[in-house]
Amino acid sequence: MTTTLANISETAPRRRLQRDQVIGLLMVALGLFTAWAFGLGAAGRSQSQFTFDPVNASGTVPWHLGALTLPTRVSCLLAGALIIAGGVEILWRRPRRALLARFGGGAVLFFLAILTWASRTHGPSQVSFVNLTSVLVGGIAPAVVLTYGSLSGVLCERAGVVNIAIEGQFLAGAFLGSLIDSVTHNFFFATLGGVVVGAGLGAILAFFALRYQSDQIIAGVVLASLVISLGSYLNLQVLTPYPQYNAGSPAPNLMIPLLGKIPILGPVLFDENGFFYLVVALVLLISFGLFRTRWGLRVRAVGEHPKAAASVGIDVIRTRYVNVILGGVVAGVGGVALFAWQGQFQPGITSGYGYIALAGLIFGRWRPSGVVVAALLFGMSVYLANNLQTYQVPVSTSILLMFPYVVTIFVVSGLIGRVRAPAADGIPYKRD
Amino acid sequence: MRRLLRWWRGLYESPVLLTAFAVVLGLVVGMFVIIFTTTPVLDAWRSVLNSWGGPGHALKTTLDHVGAAYRAMFNGAIIDPSTLWHSLNTGQGWTQTLTPLSETLTYATPLTIASIGVGITFQTGLFNIGANGQAIIGGIIGVAIGSSLHLPTIILMPLTLLAGIAGGIITGAIPGLLKAFTGAHEVIVTLMFNYVANLSLIFALLSTPLQQPGQGNDISRTLRPGALLSPLFGTTSGLRVNWGLFIAAAIVVLAWWFLERSSLGFEFRVSGANPHAARVSGINPRKVTIYAFLISGGLAGLAGITQVAGTTHYIDGGFLVGSAGIGFTAITVSLLGRNRPIGIMWGALLFAALGVGGRAMQATTGIPLDLATIIQYAIVLFIATPVLVEEIFRMRARSAGGLQLASQGWNT
Repeated sequence: MTTTLANISETAPRRRLQRDQVIGLLMVALGLFTAWAFGLGAAGRSQSQFTFDPVNASGTVPWHLGALTLPTRVSCLLAGALIIAGGVEILWRRPRRALLARFGGGAVLFFLAILTWASRTHGPSQVSFVNLTSVLVGGIAPAVVLTYGSLSGVLCERAGVVNIAIEGQFLAGAFLGSLIDSVTHNFFFATLGGVVVGAGLGAILAFFALRYQSDQIIAGVVLASLVISLGSYLNLQVLTPYPQYNAGSPAPNLMIPLLGKIPILGPVLFDENGFFYLVVALVLLISFGLFRTRWGLRVRAVGEHPKAAASVGIDVIRTRYVNVILGGVVAGVGGVALFAWQGQFQPGITSGYGYIALAGLIFGRWRPSGVVVAALLFGMSVYLANNLQTYQVPVSTSILLMFPYVVTIFVVSGLIGRVRAPAADGIPYKRD
Repeated sequence: MRRLLRWWRGLYESPVLLTAFAVVLGLVVGMFVIIFTTTPVLDAWRSVLNSWGGPGHALKTTLDHVGAAYRAMFNGAIIDPSTLWHSLNTGQGWTQTLTPLSETLTYATPLTIASIGVGITFQTGLFNIGANGQAIIGGIIGVAIGSSLHLPTIILMPLTLLAGIAGGIITGAIPGLLKAFTGAHEVIVTLMFNYVANLSLIFALLSTPLQQPGQGNDISRTLRPGALLSPLFGTTSGLRVNWGLFIAAAIVVLAWWFLERSSLGFEFRVSGANPHAARVSGINPRKVTIYAFLISGGLAGLAGITQVAGTTHYIDGGFLVGSAGIGFTAITVSLLGRNRPIGIMWGALLFAALGVGGRAMQATTGIPLDLATIIQYAIVLFIATPVLVEEIFRMRARSAGGLQLASQGWNT
């Protein structure tokens, strides 16, 4: 008996860094890197310019902001110092709240420092200014897609089903959306297509996970891979011989009158395509639904303690079916949004966004609001990875393109620590 | 008579038959995919509305197309009856007759190795979805060593393989360590590493030490002759099946011994079957996680370099990308073989045949190779859902024989 106890105490986890300490240390490291690479890495005299005018303005710009010129080295050193200060503050004071907000601030400074450095004069690049408005607009586009994916995850996992097939639902939505848009030139029908195919895939996943109690991670991975193979197959078998079925275009922007004319914020928040407004509505709706309505209480009960939920008369299996199918619908629409952003379907269109959305779901702690923060972080990484090449950054394109995936790995391992998923997440429910 | 009946019932309830039925269902899924994407077949069905002879004609067109596709698969993966007949009659052309089998074995070699690696993590209750990335990095590092050093075969050959293993171990260690020390879920980390590995491949192929001199494309230098796994029947035979086959066989035996007979393997299986019991009985979950990922990554790396040294001899931008991604197929093979080495070996042979046959089908009928991948995934979806297969084929329900994975979600 004593040996058993000794063994237990031996294998019990040793004291290790707390999550806030990890975040603090990460921020200090990030700040040092910023100061070193971007501050000291720039020539002393070089300058960076930020401009703010919308690029794709439809003719009439009601406002015009002058360019902001900054000395590159000083600004980057300052940004680095601020990030370090934030990290030290976390390590020193050990604040209990708003940790991620502080880290978010650090991340914003880091992104700004990258841009400042990339656009310095007398650098290798011909582009010697950064249009901040278009950076924000560009970062929002992938963030919208990721938010759809993560919201799908929220719906499924709050009810206790792990949905790893988001990647597949994205791809199916993008494929059908592209097909329908090519034929009808109507994004309403394309979205309907995404709804249908997403619901179908959600139903298949639910069928395997709930009726047959397959392992949800395996079923999800296999289903996603199956759909991706199918997409590649259909691309060769249908879209290559009939290119008229892959002739869609990006979704048009719908400007909200008046609000769309606000400097900077206007183009970023009020001159977006319909999928942006839809996802904003969905975030609010799901947030309200999950935490303020009877439906949400039931869903969360099913995800946390299905036995208790069943004992008060909630149909666990039914709730899960409904939520997994709803999640599929949201992810399917997300796929259409992905197509609407890219404008054309290709087999590798999802490039792991479905999996990044899962990371965002965990980072956002299964809350719609948290998910948005994660999506913005990852969205900006995606934008930078795809667009820093225009500034002829002296780093290989392939290395730049790794950025979002590496950020995801860092976020999942460093920032989150051991999170608590809904207690019954991923565990099959058996009726007694 | 009664014994016969009992024998039949035993057979009918064995996992082998379950697998066979899953394969049949997978082929049915593939059939529907062909039907819905082949224009002549769709036209024939559309004309059913117009003419009386329609249904018969439509059915015949369907069977013709599906039959042609599956026949091409069989002929390309196992044996082509017509060339076999020719060889038997004339005693010539055996190379051509044996090529399909040789190709299947060639493809099965790295697939078996990678799948055993994945299977070991599955048995430990962990999900290594990143075998493909690990194999790619293994291939890169293996080629870097095997194409640059001037050493005698007896040193260069093992060194190249070890370099591949090292590459896989490094890539596999990161998710393992992160899982053990920070709790980062290995599914996401390994998935992300697949993308990182793909991009590393392009980066490595375009940079100086690895790129073929005088080339602007993403193509690596060729392995030195001493680093190659030579064909079993000699270079002149034209059959590509190589000594890597024996590496794979050795890995199967070793893995069986490791999982069934060694104490670390026992700890792995206990951790997979019941993590709580494992912890209480003094098994260190961190140690198990890290070792499982080291072994799994090492095997994936070995698979990658075996593929290069045995088959392609150099790597290019298409190395293990898309349908050629043995690391992704390895996940399905491992599930097909129920995570046990012997089962995995058979599973790898089957899926290698599907993959090779798919390529032959693409060449003969123009149906994309992805169909084979679709069939593979469909088969595994059915394998992962034994109850469904049992219901479809009216098998008697039973608890054993199916996949036993503890579904645990994120909270582990």
